[in-house]
Amino acid sequence: MNVVKWARSKSPWIIHFNTGSCNGCDIEVVAALTPKFDLERFGVLLKGSPRHADVIVVTGPVTNQVKERLKRVYEQMPSPKFVMAIGTCACSGGVFKDCYNLCQGVDKVIPVDIYVPGCAASPEAIIDGAAKLLKKISG
Amino acid sequence: MVPAEIIEFLSVLIYPGFIFIFTLAFFYEWVDRKFVARLQNRYGPLYAGPGGILQPFADFIKLLAKEDITPRAADKTTFRVTPILMLALALSTLFFIPTAYTTAVSWFEGDLIFVTFLVSILVLITLIAAWSSTSTFSTVGGIRVVLQMLGFEIPMTIVMVGPAIVSKTLSITNIALWQYTTGHYFAIYQPIGLIVLIICLLAEIKKAPFDIPEAESELAAGWITEFSGRKLALIRLTTDVELILAGALVTALFLGGPTGPFGIPSVIFFLIKTTGVILVISNLRALFARFRIDQMLGGFWKYLVPLALLQIILVTLGVG
Ligand code: SF4
Repeated sequence: MNVVKWARSKSPWIIHFNTGSCNGCDIEVVAALTPKFDLERFGVLLKGSPRHADVIVVTGPVTNQVKERLKRVYEQMPSPKFVMAIGTCACSGGVFKDCYNLCQGVDKVIPVDIYVPGCAASPEAIIDGAAKLLKKISG
Repeated sequence: MVPAEIIEFLSVLIYPGFIFIFTLAFFYEWVDRKFVARLQNRYGPLYAGPGGILQPFADFIKLLAKEDITPRAADKTTFRVTPILMLALALSTLFFIPTAYTTAVSWFEGDLIFVTFLVSILVLITLIAAWSSTSTFSTVGGIRVVLQMLGFEIPMTIVMVGPAIVSKTLSITNIALWQYTTGHYFAIYQPIGLIVLIICLLAEIKKAPFDIPEAESELAAGWITEFSGRKLALIRLTTDVELILAGALVTALFLGGPTGPFGIPSVIFFLIKTTGVILVISNLRALFARFRIDQMLGGFWKYLVPLALLQIILVTLGVG
């Protein structure tokens, strides 16, 4: 197996971005990182700066106000970069679908690699999504 | 017969030089992360190699293979050079501390002072690195790095003099050997100095209670915010080398360095002693939350400087 691909699939560092979520999904993302679920098993570390991250974890429907910021944060990340949309809101707009102030889901703004539906997406689902993303990276 | 120059070259390159130190750096990062994870009742890195032991290596390779961004506003030359300079400085500091053999790769009478000097330069390079990236987060982080240095530098230098006074030598290698030959280990005779040194080193390597310059809840990633790809890989490697540096310094000054009985190779003793020191450091990291800036500075000046002075007074009075 290719060493670089192996390294990439073993060490995905994430940055968490809230694009207008109700905080339900954010709590679940944080829960997935805490001792009970422990995403660090897969080498996942939560990073503060987009320059360090490989995966941007987006929660919530993208409001028109945060759209440009989401784009900017995405562009600040060094490639190869991946996007995880957590929660039904981030996948399609969810309960806020067809609101006048939304873009209806993350994939209208930046390309999404993994969708994790659920309102709120449970930590198990997030871990499942992370594992699928890692399989895709090492692919 | 292999010429002596080639052997010397290989010893700098492989053992106990670069390759040995890098392997050890990755190993100790894994020990640190795994130990903290177990203290928090987690597994820690698990799937990269057996027990996740290859995790730091995977991180390093991944960062090397990533895009390397230099922000348009950054001071380009300085921004590119400082990570390399930091790694070089950390490595050259480590060459003056005995690691694999009972003597350091290079040593002379007075290298104790030289090592304290290199450690301060390392901090100043950090400030330049932060400054050259011109981002607000990095600049504030860089200022905090220097602020932290104002705290830890004085007590650290004072307690490092303690062993030198008793063993009547200013060379780290000789201090370590003196402890072994006389059986007078400073960890027993100068316990205050040992505690103060470990706390100061914790601030020097910017680990948890003193990770004020990186404070991710306030400053994104602090002084490293703008570094990515290869530069970040070098900076992380520097951090790991500094972890060995901390372990090796405590080992050499207070635990007798890489020496021990029964003719067992000295590197074994080095590994055992440094791992012990690093476990203490990781334990403190898991135990404490980050201090505020004023608590950190006040704590160093109000408590650690007097304690360090007390230790030196005791030493000059013949106790220790
Ligand atoms: S999916 Fe549900 S929990 Fe998540 S942000 Fe939307 S409304 Fe909140």
